[in-house]
Amino acid sequence: MLSRVAESLFWMSRYFERAENTARFLDVNFNLLLDLNRITHVENPSYWVALILVTSDKERFNSLYTEYTAHTVTDYLVFNKKNPNSITSCIGLARENARSIIESISSEMWEQVNKLYHYLQSVNPQFVHNNPYGFYKEIKNASHLFQGITDNTFSHNEGWDFIQIAKYLERTDNIARLIDVKYHMLLTEAQNQPEIVEGSEDLIQWMAVLKSCSALEAFRKVYLSKIDPDNILRFLILDRTFPRSINFSVCAAEDALWRISGSSRHRYVNNADRLIGKLEAELSYTAIEDVFAIGLHNYLADLEQRLVKVGEQVHLTYFAYHTPEIESPDIAEGLPFTGIAGGRPNWSQAHQHQQQQQQ
Amino acid sequence: MSRFFERYEADPCRFYDEVISKEGIPRAHYDKLLQRFSQFSNDDIKARREIVNIFFRNQGITFTVYGENEGVERLFPFDLIPRIVPAQEWQIIEKGLTQRITALNEFLKDIYHTQKILKDKIIPAELILGSQHFRREFVGIKPPLGVYIHITGSDIIRDKEGNFLVLEDNLRTPSGVSYMLQNRQAMKRAFPVLFDKYKIRPIDNYPQELLRTLQEISPSTRNAPNVVVLTPGIYNSAYFEHSFLARQMGVELTEGKDLVVNDNKVYTRTTRGLERVDVIYRRVDDAFLDPLVFRPDSKLGVAGIVNAYRKGNVALANAIGTGVADDKVIYSFVPAIIKYYLGEDPILQNVPTWLASNPTDLKYILENLGTLVVKAANESGGYGMLIGPESTIEQQESFAEMIVANPRNYIAQPTISLSRHPSFFNDTELWGCHIDLRPYVLNGKTVTIVPGGLTRVALKRGSLVVNSSQGGGSKDTWVVDE
Repeated sequence: MLSRVAESLFWMSRYFERAENTARFLDVNFNLLLDLNRITHVENPSYWVALILVTSDKERFNSLYTEYTAHTVTDYLVFNKKNPNSITSCIGLARENARSIIESISSEMWEQVNKLYHYLQSVNPQFVHNNPYGFYKEIKNASHLFQGITDNTFSHNEGWDFIQIAKYLERTDNIARLIDVKYHMLLTEAQNQPEIVEGSEDLIQWMAVLKSCSALEAFRKVYLSKIDPDNILRFLILDRTFPRSINFSVCAAEDALWRISGSSRHRYVNNADRLIGKLEAELSYTAIEDVFAIGLHNYLADLEQRLVKVGEQVHLTYFAYHTPEIESPDIAEGLPFTGIAGGRPNWSQAHQHQQQQQQ
Repeated sequence: MSRFFERYEADPCRFYDEVISKEGIPRAHYDKLLQRFSQFSNDDIKARREIVNIFFRNQGITFTVYGENEGVERLFPFDLIPRIVPAQEWQIIEKGLTQRITALNEFLKDIYHTQKILKDKIIPAELILGSQHFRREFVGIKPPLGVYIHITGSDIIRDKEGNFLVLEDNLRTPSGVSYMLQNRQAMKRAFPVLFDKYKIRPIDNYPQELLRTLQEISPSTRNAPNVVVLTPGIYNSAYFEHSFLARQMGVELTEGKDLVVNDNKVYTRTTRGLERVDVIYRRVDDAFLDPLVFRPDSKLGVAGIVNAYRKGNVALANAIGTGVADDKVIYSFVPAIIKYYLGEDPILQNVPTWLASNPTDLKYILENLGTLVVKAANESGGYGMLIGPESTIEQQESFAEMIVANPRNYIAQPTISLSRHPSFFNDTELWGCHIDLRPYVLNGKTVTIVPGGLTRVALKRGSLVVNSSQGGGSKDTWVVDE
């Protein structure tokens, strides 16, 4: 498979997943605030600032808005094109990548990306404000539909594996950030109104985290009614069977990487395989107490860094492949590159518009 | 007659109307179409328009209008009334184009080898050797099967009497074939009943025929030659077509940066290393193909690809240097070229053409600027044109200056009244819009023309320019058996 095609499949999938997760962050925050309206209100900035903190994007946000409200944060995370990770930007980039490999994906996949793109062009902030539940549901469903279409119309070969790697790396990163939202909330809450965070509110917040991963029901089946933070974290980080847990996602990414390279347990053939294998092995032998010993926030921050490293190695191993002795400077300039924007890996299209249009 | 057609005003004295004859009655092959449309209300047409728009939008068949901050995507204008070509008329086009392409290919073979036609003084040598599209680096290089032009999209028009004339031979990288194929898909969805009433020859096999042609020119003896499509990239206006054809053929779509040349062989960069390429259907112009040979600033090409081609390690479709034969000046010699190589009379006539490089013609051109169409020899897409009857005195004067300064670069033709075809305006009434026809000719071991083509239509009322860059649209084209 062409390196460029593999790379575009990767980013298409990754941006789609990112858009879905952003919708989940926002959706759950709305729900949470409604649940907590006895003690707070929908515009409580400490709940909204957490969403910005968790996407490591405070600086850019502050350059565009002056306050943290439901309105500004929603606008930033859903619509703002200056935010490369907003839902609109993500779907735009997913579509851009899909468009550049339109002959490699199934036409059903393209139609689905395209449909969501046009849907997003048709909605405005007022629409989201009036019906946040419907809007976020639409995004989540569109993403699920895309994954289902991909699974059922696209050959499960190397290209599909790149889609899986991207999806699960992104998902792992997002679950880590979601759990971290809770940390940020506690932090800001504690600063502002230390007396509030206690008992049932705490539990409701944790349940919200579960819900944002569509994990509440699955969790209940395992832990019955024992909803306590330890069990919730145990489930979201270490469960091996739930598709929105960190451990599951890392395993899935590892499987896909190994299928591509032919690596197996104890035998890796490249650094991407080595790093993901290491991460997976550690997760398999981690108890939740080990996480607490490191500190939840530190543990998650470290995990996010390691995921970035895996992504880099995937890039170097499969996308940036070239034979140096015959490479001309022009070719090097033309290579798409990855970079970090807003604390998250991002894809950047090489700019050759002018000549392409001239032709 | 139907509501829409009742109010339609053909002007058969001034133009050949494809639907209404000189006597003012519908041509027989349009009967069933008229009958069907008579059953439609405005709402029926609206509903069908919606089906077609959704189809094009979901397929991503849009083009991007650049400017301001971001590209705006628009649908290509598509007219709902199909153009119908009866089998006996199609036969003329098919035979005529086969003859023309065969002769032009012989011409290129000659020009890049012994140049007999120049020695016999059929064409003045300076016209060829001085052409900016003549690639002297390729004299003596024999492409596989001796084929230079594998894919052609000739533009055919009809004069007042309904004769088919060739307006232009596009021998470099003609585009539009994906619209031919997609227009057909859209029509099948929107007008299944009407479709069923005609025996329409299918065109869906075009991608298979194209792939077969490309495989035939492979220089390697491997069983399954590796064919790729080379595109300038996603910002090119024809990008949709490049990817569409690659997908339909089941081959890789590559950009310049996907290809590398090593030891005069071409490879793709893949996740598993380098992979050998045998045939490249390139949609990148000669000038951008290889920064080492042509434009050094090209970022779209592949360094070293021309040498690989010279060594016979890779085949290119179309060959390098075919532009010399679709120059508008050389165009005027095509009837002579057909006679010279094939000993036959041309089946399809040219539009009469005056060459500014010829002193008597030049005099005539300058005296008749108000009635002629003047074209720059090397421009395409409707640019660099003066349409005499629609021009101002100032425009004519400035063209006169340019012509005198560089006569080799200009030709003139009479203002041909392109045939007209009823087309929807606002989907409520029919206007007679000028049309042309671009069939697609494939040339490998044999010449193949899928029955149909892209009918381009000048949807701006009265406009003669059918190019999509100038507000033109298209129609589905049905070649029907009785």
